[in-house]
Amino acid sequence: MKYFLRVDSGREFELDVEERPGGQCIVKVDGEEIRADFLDVDRLGQYTAIVDHRSFAVSIEEQDPQHLQVNIAGESYTVVAMDEREKAAGEVAGQGPPKAEIIKASMPGVLIDVSVKVGDVLEAGAGVAILEAMKMQNEVVCLHGGVVEEVLVKTGESVDANQPLVRLAPPQED
Amino acid sequence: MSNVPQTPIKRLLIANRGEIAVRIQRSCRDLGIETIAVYSEPDRHALHVRFANEAYALGGKTPAESYLRADRILEIAKEAKADAIHPGFGFLAENGDFAEAVEAAGIRFVGPSPHAMAVMGDKLSARTAMIAAGVPVVPGNTEAVTDAVEAAKEAELIGYPVMLKASAGGGGKGIRVVHNPSEIEAAFLTASGEALNAFGDGRMYLEKFLVAPRHIEIQVLGDKHGTVLHFGERECSLQRRHQKLIEEAPSPIIDEETRMQMGNAAVAAAKAVDYFSAGTVEFLWSKGEFFFLEMNTRIQVEHGITEEVYGLDLIAQMIRVAAGEKIDDCTGLVPRGHAIEVRLNAEDPDNQFLPSLGVIGNLRWPGGPGVRIDSGVYRSMEVTPYYDSMLAKLIAYGRDREQARRRMLRVLQELHVGGVKTSAGIALQILQSDGFITGDYDTAYLEKFVAERGKHEIQREIPDDLERIAAIVAALHRQKTAARRVMQSDNTGGTKTNPWVTAARREQHGRIS
Repeated sequence: MKYFLRVDSGREFELDVEERPGGQCIVKVDGEEIRADFLDVDRLGQYTAIVDHRSFAVSIEEQDPQHLQVNIAGESYTVVAMDEREKAAGEVAGQGPPKAEIIKASMPGVLIDVSVKVGDVLEAGAGVAILEAMKMQNEVVCLHGGVVEEVLVKTGESVDANQPLVRLAPPQED
Repeated sequence: MSNVPQTPIKRLLIANRGEIAVRIQRSCRDLGIETIAVYSEPDRHALHVRFANEAYALGGKTPAESYLRADRILEIAKEAKADAIHPGFGFLAENGDFAEAVEAAGIRFVGPSPHAMAVMGDKLSARTAMIAAGVPVVPGNTEAVTDAVEAAKEAELIGYPVMLKASAGGGGKGIRVVHNPSEIEAAFLTASGEALNAFGDGRMYLEKFLVAPRHIEIQVLGDKHGTVLHFGERECSLQRRHQKLIEEAPSPIIDEETRMQMGNAAVAAAKAVDYFSAGTVEFLWSKGEFFFLEMNTRIQVEHGITEEVYGLDLIAQMIRVAAGEKIDDCTGLVPRGHAIEVRLNAEDPDNQFLPSLGVIGNLRWPGGPGVRIDSGVYRSMEVTPYYDSMLAKLIAYGRDREQARRRMLRVLQELHVGGVKTSAGIALQILQSDGFITGDYDTAYLEKFVAERGKHEIQREIPDDLERIAAIVAALHRQKTAARRVMQSDNTGGTKTNPWVTAARREQHGRIS
């Protein structure tokens, strides 16, 4: 099966995995054929990979089948892995209008300052609130930016992890 | 200090949680002392509860509702007939009133006297005592400053740059560096306001701001008979917002002569407050000079690296001292080899080191020669927002600095913690950076390293194509999980085949071939 992979450095890979009877795989990448053996060790996230006789102790955190964090030898890579069907679907979705953003609390805590109001225009990465948790004050920021459409919380309020705080309309494209 | 009562300790209550509670229990086991744990609601499953001889519920979730409940903890100590209480660090460890109440109840407090805590706990009184004892201090004022005009006058006397610090400060709150006179008023007002909010005390003091300082601290140990010894230095400059990340002993820049000078100064500092038990005298070192910063009147997180190079159990020594014993037999110990500690914190270095919460679903511990893990962590433990984010301390020991460093690289490559983000990855990079390898780093190094990540020269010992391997692994993972999902849906038609067993068999076959 063919896979399209993007690593967090921005590097992209296109490779073909062919499974042989017995579980061994042949990976075709950049015109090369590599023998690979990949096994789940404990069903809790640990794997063993032997790629062309090189052995790697691997840990994988799976957000969903497409979004993986691959950890090898203390190094960590965030990988987006798509098959052909998903890649085609993704390209179609990517052509749609930009999505609205909902800014959520990253952890439970108390909002000690909510600094935005409806109508504010925010750049990507702008702060919207200060959340105090674990004795630390942390700035809550937006990812893509946009226009504040609704502020769902107020200063002094206790919030749970993942609780929506602020809703943004997509930035206006000129 | 004669006629110190000898009171053997047989049952010890540990008024703490997590890694340090487990650490204290381990020394108690070695000494044949029974341990009594206390625990909050979220900690019912914790290792310190399971490893204890007895455990008592404190109730509550937040520290204020649980591990800070001095009254409740003392009540439990009496009920459980504990003959000593070890406070660990944080929580009640530097609370003089608690120490006094414990001793008044006829229970030994495993720590220094309330007097020593009081003098060293206040920055101004500590400074005054140190000047009187002849311990070098950073040039600055000894009187608390209460307004901006006064602050400006003092700053002129000391000379810019100066640092404004809250008199009752801690944890980085109420601290400002001021580079020139035009900034002093605004800096004073914000710092003082912050201090008033955080500690209920807006008094400030000023001191000379040192250029490229290193944080070097001396471990001391005193007994109740007037003996105070020191066990060399720990280099703790790799810190960010006053949170240490990597420590090592000895420091790569301290020679034998400076070690003796700093050690003697630390002993003089401790003797000035009739110190007994374990304590740490922190110094700032800048261009060959050192200045007293503060004394921590408790065991410290990083005590383990001193234990490794001096072959000593500091927790056991603290318990001995509390029982009234002498520490004469610790005289003349010399450091051997080198130890490095990495703090494994549940935090996200890619996101301003914010605490990372979650369940540790995946855990692979390192091991082997020269490795010590002090931990309170286990697989499926939940990291909650209620307590400190430190999960474990990784310690590597070697005959010299390079062997210790290489062992720590191995530790960080073998380790994996899944489910939360940790400080392990950034520590691995720092250990391979030029600054660390040459030992040329100061207290600003970590912050700078994080800000300029990627630009630093890192002598990484990883295969060039590891990124490509990660991509191949991700594809293989998708391929295998897709196969498993197909198999599971094939089996939903009422057959009795267990898909997990089938999958396991398939993988067994794969292993053999």
